[in-house]
Amino acid sequence: MMTKDLRRRAPDVDVPPDDDPGGVSRRSFLRAATVAAGTTAILAHGATTAGASELVPEDDPEELAHEHADDPGLLIDITKCVGCAKCVRACKLDNDLEWRQDQSATGADAELASSNWTVVRAEAVETIEESRLGPRRRAARRYVKLQCLHCLEPACASACFVAALKKTEEGPVLYDGNRCVGCRYCLLACPFGVPTFEWDETFGRVQKCDLCPERTTEGEPTACAEACPQGAITFGRRGELLEEAWRRVRSDERYVQHVYGETEAAGTSVMYLSDVPFEELGFRTGVAVDPLPTYTWEVTRILPPFAAGFTVTIMALWARRQKIQRERAEAEANGPRDEEVVS
Amino acid sequence: MRPRALPYSPERRRWRFTITPFRVVLLLIVAVTLGLLGYRFVAGLGAVTNLSDKWPWSFWTWWKLSAVSLAGAGYFTMFMIYFLGRERYRDVERGAFIVSMLGYLMLCAALVIDLGQWYNAYRPIYQWGYHSVMFELFWCVGSYTVVQVVEFFVIFEERVPWRFLNRVLHAIHAPLLLLACFLPIFHQSALVSLYVITKGRLDPLWWSQLLPVYAVVTFFYIGPPVVLLENVIANRTYGRPVHMRGITDMLPVTAFIMFLYLAVRLVDLTVRGVLDELLSGTLYGNLALIELGIGVLLPAVMFASRDLRASKHAMVAASLLAIFGTWGFRFNVTMSGLVESIGVGWYVPSWMEATIALGLGAAVCVAYLFIVENFPIYTEADVAACEAAMAEAKAKELAPRQQPRLAVLPLDQVRELERAGRH
Repeated sequence: MMTKDLRRRAPDVDVPPDDDPGGVSRRSFLRAATVAAGTTAILAHGATTAGASELVPEDDPEELAHEHADDPGLLIDITKCVGCAKCVRACKLDNDLEWRQDQSATGADAELASSNWTVVRAEAVETIEESRLGPRRRAARRYVKLQCLHCLEPACASACFVAALKKTEEGPVLYDGNRCVGCRYCLLACPFGVPTFEWDETFGRVQKCDLCPERTTEGEPTACAEACPQGAITFGRRGELLEEAWRRVRSDERYVQHVYGETEAAGTSVMYLSDVPFEELGFRTGVAVDPLPTYTWEVTRILPPFAAGFTVTIMALWARRQKIQRERAEAEANGPRDEEVVS
Repeated sequence: MRPRALPYSPERRRWRFTITPFRVVLLLIVAVTLGLLGYRFVAGLGAVTNLSDKWPWSFWTWWKLSAVSLAGAGYFTMFMIYFLGRERYRDVERGAFIVSMLGYLMLCAALVIDLGQWYNAYRPIYQWGYHSVMFELFWCVGSYTVVQVVEFFVIFEERVPWRFLNRVLHAIHAPLLLLACFLPIFHQSALVSLYVITKGRLDPLWWSQLLPVYAVVTFFYIGPPVVLLENVIANRTYGRPVHMRGITDMLPVTAFIMFLYLAVRLVDLTVRGVLDELLSGTLYGNLALIELGIGVLLPAVMFASRDLRASKHAMVAASLLAIFGTWGFRFNVTMSGLVESIGVGWYVPSWMEATIALGLGAAVCVAYLFIVENFPIYTEADVAACEAAMAEAKAKELAPRQQPRLAVLPLDQVRELERAGRH
């Protein structure tokens, strides 16, 4: 009787009626659920058909290499570099970047930083040389020019939720600071640790090499490639560079039998050759060979169908609950009347 | 334990906030945090945090993911009441909801604090980077927070009646409920699937394609333990009775999900061939063992045991362990699992970073206390119990100490004295 009395009262009383929690009617709930399920189903369909080309990362390596064969790229031959850092100077001049005391661009502790789009890092290594007395270990130095590798399937761009980082049609991965919110997910996503952040700015942005698009679209080499006096940096189309790289590797057995950037993160536009194993030079080896965005895609692609299924489940639960409550209410309504008869 | 303050009751309609020494400490931490935030927004992120290009995300990320996982309390209770028809949880519904809403508001604040160009934070509304997990996160966290704030207005309207608002709320309540059931599943998973892209760098003990599933499962099962802790704290603060029966009914569900979760984690490790790393005795292996053994298996066994469920202390301990497991999982994903591949050692937060994290938590506590004392959160029966507890405590304080110390009294006399003390 108590519950029945309450139910007759206005909907804005403190105690919500049993079968009408917070004033939600079954019909209005089901209507909302149907609309939501329908919308998600349409979105699911849209995502897997129309948007597929943009959403789904290309994971066939040959297809990917073929697609990007004409992209501008660099081939950096570590065996030819003498560490003069003219490339660093050219980059700073061309892109108007500061020389900062706290961000070394050359030497053993050189790191990419907000004012260093490229650096030349000196690595102390050991080489084995043939001498008249047999093979001999020798301390040696190698110089590694670091910069953005301009992936074919960039993890940073896939991670960017405001599309501030984009893989352009022409090839370079470009950053638009005006769109950026500064969440730094690209820094976490990049398998090579390339993007950097302006930590000391009030409104920090991301900084990274843009592969001199104003030069490369005209077919001219990048500032760094142009400045290199040793021919250690070759500018060209990625497909041609890859052929050239393998020609060099095959012609001289001192080269490591690997072109860094051919398969790393499904391929990059900037590639390296070396005579010292890459891991000894501080390169991240063991980078996943599949495009990294595929892993995220594996997660996001199941969401729309999952959402639709989840909505249907909720509706089923809700309907079941309504039925139970109706039955309970009917039983209660019948119960006391029986008592009245008895008394 | 003497209750510290009284919750809201329709008879006391004055706005108020009781001040106790502990609350003074909380408010001080909040004040210091506000100062530090001012500094952060002027001087930039580098001035306040130890973040670097090597560690672009770290302590704050862990704190955000962990703190908001406690919102599982509200989600679990809501799901139980509105979708499984467990009316018993209505007693604890609003308390759990407030914990969740404040958790999400804190998450939003923490997200904005962590952005370089925070004034661009609205941009994803029209700049769609839909291939990013972050995009999903932005939309779901944003809309779920709005949904919760709107739901809070249902409570607000009871305190500050406003017919128009009431009518609007009734009209939109059904879609809101659906959204409230729908959204958390997506962004709670997204919060951790942010790290799916660190494939090859996050240690395989934690990197898994199933990261989003683990995130949702740990978020869901943490609900009842958090409700229990919220009840115990409310009991200490307001003298509100602990709804042990309702909660202990939920705990076997938690135990079951925890066992299932543990099994899936272990199968996943076996399939990916890293089960031997778990038992290798290395630092990573041990961290994972602690996370899964002490943070999942142990509390699951405790929740599953009928005898232990009868003991409030055991359940509080088990709840803390379960939270330890959920937070530990997020800690290993966001921090320890990346130490090796980042290669510059462990991340140590600066004192300012840690204080801001603590201050956000303190702000949530203060807001919870304020809301409980000024809005109808507890049921009428609970409020009556709180008032009785307060009256009893006051009577006890005023009553002179009659009992002689170390004297042996006959049992019936002791009972009589007790009875006198109670009334």
